[in-house]
Amino acid sequence: MIRFTDVVVRYPNGTVGLDGIDLTIRDGEFVVVVGLSGAGKSTLVRTINGLVPVTSGELAVGESRVDGAGKRALRDLRARVGMIFQSFNLVTRTTVLKNVLVGRLHSTPTLLTLLGVARKADVEIAFQALERVGIVEKAYTRASQLSGGQQQRVAIARVLAQQPEVILADEPVASLDPPTANLVMRDLQRINRELGITTIVNLHFLDLARAYGQRIIGMRGGRIVFDGPPEEADDAVFAQIYGRSLTADDILPDTPVELGPTAT
Amino acid sequence: MTAPVAVRPPKPRPALGMWSLLAASVVITIVAGSAIDFDLLPLFSDTTRGWFIVSQFFAPDWSYLGRTVAPLLDTLAIAVVATAFGCVLALGAAMLASRITTRNGAIYRTSKAVLSVLRSLPDVVWGMLFVAFVGVGALAGMLALVAFNVGIIAKLTAETIDAVDPGPLEAADAAGANSVQRARVAVVPQILPNFASYSLYVFELNVRASVVLGFVGAGGIGTQIAVELARFNYDNLSAIIVVLFVVVFAIDQISGVLRRRLAS
Amino acid sequence: MTAPSPVVRPRRPGKLRYVALQLAVLAVIAVCLTSLDANWSRLLDAPAAAWTYGTLMVRGVLQNPFAEPHLDYWLTSFELMGQSIAMAWVGTVIAAILSFPLGFLAASNTAPRWIVLPVRQLLNAIRAIPDVILVIVVMVPVFGLGPMSGALALGVGSVGTLGKLASEAIEGIQPGPVEAVRASGARPVQVIRWGVIPQVLPEIVAFWLYRFEVNIRAGAILGVVGAGGIGAYIGRAFDSRDWDRIGIALLVIVVVTMLVDAISGLVRHRIIAGPVARAAQLERVVG
Repeated sequence: MIRFTDVVVRYPNGTVGLDGIDLTIRDGEFVVVVGLSGAGKSTLVRTINGLVPVTSGELAVGESRVDGAGKRALRDLRARVGMIFQSFNLVTRTTVLKNVLVGRLHSTPTLLTLLGVARKADVEIAFQALERVGIVEKAYTRASQLSGGQQQRVAIARVLAQQPEVILADEPVASLDPPTANLVMRDLQRINRELGITTIVNLHFLDLARAYGQRIIGMRGGRIVFDGPPEEADDAVFAQIYGRSLTADDILPDTPVELGPTAT
Repeated sequence: MTAPVAVRPPKPRPALGMWSLLAASVVITIVAGSAIDFDLLPLFSDTTRGWFIVSQFFAPDWSYLGRTVAPLLDTLAIAVVATAFGCVLALGAAMLASRITTRNGAIYRTSKAVLSVLRSLPDVVWGMLFVAFVGVGALAGMLALVAFNVGIIAKLTAETIDAVDPGPLEAADAAGANSVQRARVAVVPQILPNFASYSLYVFELNVRASVVLGFVGAGGIGTQIAVELARFNYDNLSAIIVVLFVVVFAIDQISGVLRRRLAS
Repeated sequence: MTAPSPVVRPRRPGKLRYVALQLAVLAVIAVCLTSLDANWSRLLDAPAAAWTYGTLMVRGVLQNPFAEPHLDYWLTSFELMGQSIAMAWVGTVIAAILSFPLGFLAASNTAPRWIVLPVRQLLNAIRAIPDVILVIVVMVPVFGLGPMSGALALGVGSVGTLGKLASEAIEGIQPGPVEAVRASGARPVQVIRWGVIPQVLPEIVAFWLYRFEVNIRAGAILGVVGAGGIGAYIGRAFDSRDWDRIGIALLVIVVVTMLVDAISGLVRHRIIAGPVARAAQLERVVG
């Protein structure tokens, strides 16, 4: 369970990222956060694993407190929380397998890492993660040779290799074309259902949010302005979140609207 | 109403920077020229004696070539070992001297300062120092070159580290890796081609440096050159020079090819 | 959609070649290590010696600089270091002037192939001659001992590297502006003057400054064989084991070199940043 209690994030230059957030996310939920750029959705997601420090308030992931956590505690927390990024953040010069093994670093002795050696058990976990996202045949391919969608799936495999309790996704599909974006969202949804891992995704494409989210959180100006199931999030609600009426930029180009939680 | 007449902007003052630089350069050149008693006259007058000596250098004693092999191999061996050890030390030093891999401000600044000092001493001065510490011979040459190399490689590598893509580092952090693991997994693969290129560059420098190091007693072909020069054996000397030239030229070409391959 | 049929895991591609390469490199290093007739036992003496002499040097530096003989040490060190810098400057100027046209002659987009190839090899040949050899073989016999020889050796020796770097910069320019100038009917020299030079000049001047920094160190080295500058002075200091003098001279070398490096680095960055930096300055003035 992830619990925010009056969390405020103020950046060094003065801007307020989060302005008093109270939020509880239960285990196994699939949450989608939407809002304008700068509304705080990226900040919200990044405070959960401590990439953005909390200025005041309490933030707890399970039993561990994230606010004010020391370096050791943060590393332990991040071992249990996986994250995928908009730009995939793979090491392009190395193989897919080595990238996935990054997810096992938290339990690998530093000496083995320095020597570039991976334990058999870790390699097995990595392979299983690759199989789960359906890309195992590329295990020894250089990451730079993969397409965007494939790279993101490798990133998902990297997160799965951590065997995390929570998966965070910061704009995971913003760099992908519409069909691939749907595939990736479907993968995330499937993993959430099959493995029961709490998943929090940060999106700005509204149709994807409605199609895949189990719970939608709308943010504006660092505050939560909407929190409910996708059925309640109609266009009027979105207009309220975005402070303007919707434009074509807010939905994926030529998306079939029939796509919904029932499609697999 | 007639269209308003456009006012021509006043001609901007000429870029001060460029011309003042040029003026400063000319002044410095004049000052420097007089400081060294710049005088091209000897080139045209009283050339007989000078050119006589020069011509003696162009009559190599080819039978001497056999005796250059051993010292030349020594020089190459010293260069190889010094480059190897220099690289290993420099990699660690570079990590300390880059903000990306060292978060502790004090360590970072101290490392940069130490490396700056290391780089300010010419290789021959290092040679003299180590001859004083460990006596004449190849050991002094090796240690001197290692000290000389670390400064150069570490600075170049630190600059490369500063320019890496921060994405994979963020991913490693988010997966719970510690600083060392992060450097090994996300930084090293990105800097490896450049690092190899710097190593080759420094190897070339080492071979050239051996000539002067020999003069201060630090072994290699330089010692032989110093000896033959002192004995005025210009024919032997020119044989050595020819061989040295061929070797350095060959290394230049090979290294150029290798570095182009690395860049791809 | 049902789960896809199980995919066979790929076999690990042969690591043999990679491992063999690593072993070969290690073997070469090991062979080199063992072949050297080095007095390895002295290695253990090094830290202690370094400490001893290091403290001697520091003590020498801290002695009253206004009293003899240390006053003389400081003054001579600075004077000779200044000479080294003057040597390096003059040498770099000579090299810049000589290498500038050669750079154009060695670039495939500004000179025909039958010129480019021999010029390139000429530059490579010059690069392969160590400065010290130039000094001993040519400069000292003709110009005698002293900084003039050093400056010329540095100058001629640097032509190779600067010429090569210049030609690489010229080959790396964008063809667009050059075509535009040519299309307006300019003669080849004008094309170079207005299409090529504005693009490469900042980069080439930056190379010149960098080479200046390198030549300061090279100048000290040449001094050891008598070509002026601080090299001979520090060589004599080491010969006579005068650690006071050594300490002072080393400190002067380090401080002056770092100072010149810093200034040169600043100028280099301003040049490369060029238009951006000037625009920012203008903005601050105009408001």
